[in-house]
Amino acid sequence: MTEWSVQRLAQLVFEIVRDQLVAVGDDFTPQSDLIEAGLDSIGVTQLMLALEERTGVWVDEGLLTPELLSSSETLAACVHEQLAQS
Amino acid sequence: MSSSLRADAVPPVAAGAVTSGGPRIVPLTGSDCFLRAFDDEVRRYNGASHVSQLILRLGPGFDVEVLRRLVHEVTVVVPLMRAPIRRRYGVGLPVYRTDLADRMPLPVVTVHASEPDGGPTGPLPDAFAARMNDRFLGRRGRLLHFDVVPYADGARGTDLAMSWLHMLFDGTGSETFIAQLDRYFQGTRGAADLMTYDRPPAPREQMSARGQRARAWRAHIAHLGASPPRSLAGPLRSVPQDLRLRVETLGVEETARAIERAKALAGFLTPMLFYLAVTIRAHDRVFRARGLDPGSYVVPLPVNLRPKGVDGAIFRSHVSLLWFQVQQEQVSDLEGLIADLKRQRHASIKGGLVEGGVAAMEFVRFLPKRLYARMTRRGMAGELCSFFFAYTDQFVPAAQSFLGAEILNGFHAPAVTPSPGSCLAMSLRGARLNVTHVYQSDVLAEEEIETMRRSVRADLIGEAS
Repeated sequence: MTEWSVQRLAQLVFEIVRDQLVAVGDDFTPQSDLIEAGLDSIGVTQLMLALEERTGVWVDEGLLTPELLSSSETLAACVHEQLAQS
Repeated sequence: MSSSLRADAVPPVAAGAVTSGGPRIVPLTGSDCFLRAFDDEVRRYNGASHVSQLILRLGPGFDVEVLRRLVHEVTVVVPLMRAPIRRRYGVGLPVYRTDLADRMPLPVVTVHASEPDGGPTGPLPDAFAARMNDRFLGRRGRLLHFDVVPYADGARGTDLAMSWLHMLFDGTGSETFIAQLDRYFQGTRGAADLMTYDRPPAPREQMSARGQRARAWRAHIAHLGASPPRSLAGPLRSVPQDLRLRVETLGVEETARAIERAKALAGFLTPMLFYLAVTIRAHDRVFRARGLDPGSYVVPLPVNLRPKGVDGAIFRSHVSLLWFQVQQEQVSDLEGLIADLKRQRHASIKGGLVEGGVAAMEFVRFLPKRLYARMTRRGMAGELCSFFFAYTDQFVPAAQSFLGAEILNGFHAPAVTPSPGSCLAMSLRGARLNVTHVYQSDVLAEEEIETMRRSVRADLIGEAS
């Protein structure tokens, strides 16, 4: 079983986006929409690569939808599902 | 269409007006220097400049005098818009000498006579393509020019082209500039808000690590050069630059189909790979018709490097390049082609080639521009690439009007060097896709342009051409 909970993954996604990928204000939270925050396609790929580095699981960008990128939490749930299957 | 001059006067800046504060010099970015090298090449070999253009097709209500006044007011506040580009004391990094800007002429707004039956939904004015072949003088601060074609004195609408020496803005910067100029007109922003000389984010890595990235990028380019491209124009040649410009605007339903196909075939995150594949196939039709071996297709894709989520970085270019290479036998299968482009994109990002491109361009800023251009061409047997391509998504999405006139349509006409001599640029304005083709006149015959047009349409909407 994975050591990563959805909550921990959401925090990880949130921190990578906030600290490395997008210039965001204080109002950016794990519930904030990632696309609206300014994450572009290169940023999404870089995010998935950073997540792969930390968790060991690659989530194919082809699986991603606007709904899954609507917050750090929704993306974390997707990554968690992939982790569980790996 | 006649492009005779109707009014070309530049009103003097008000007495006592001085350029406002701000830095005395603004360094060019690495990608600026890349563009500057090709501007120099075009100047020497083709007698013109490397000029990009943004075109607005406007409804009634546009007042050219308002544009002229605003441009001049903003230029006085934002000295970079007419600052000479030089190396300080002849050595070191090239910079905008904003400290000398006051001595330079203001940007010119030229009004052209229109065809009696012309209008902002008809063919583009010839004056716009002519401006792309004009000589801009970066060393003397001549960086920006506006051309205006009013129809029936503006009662039937107006066509407007903003042309600039490519270092002044990149595509995103030019759109932000237009949007900010309109906000200034509406009184919601001040002219000083335009004075954003945002530095690219400071590199987080040590110099040695950046050097390693730059070397990896060079190795990647050398790898591409092992199977060099051949453009339809052939390698660098001494011919007068004579760029032509055409735009095709898809209908709303056709655009919806194209967007749906892009999403289905390339994914919602990377629609540009669908449009790139369409562009490769359009050029391939011409290569095949001529019986010409393209070598491999090598195409750079600009990557926007602005800090995401901020409104700014108007001036200078803030881009890196992702390079793609495909063989001719891959082109016939559209889905397979897109899959391979996706694979290459992923590998390039994973391999740090976005950052590597930045590092390489930063390092070579110190080189003489001629050497810079020569190095780039030498790796690809005299070519830069097979052709240029750009996809810029929604065009000025925040603005419905410009200086009080409705924006009926708008798009970019990117700078194109006479070799490779062809560029397809695509963008959306509202619910309609614009396909702009900029090409050197002697590179493509009329029937070849039509072949490409049909190929692009067929691939976009999924019909046989």
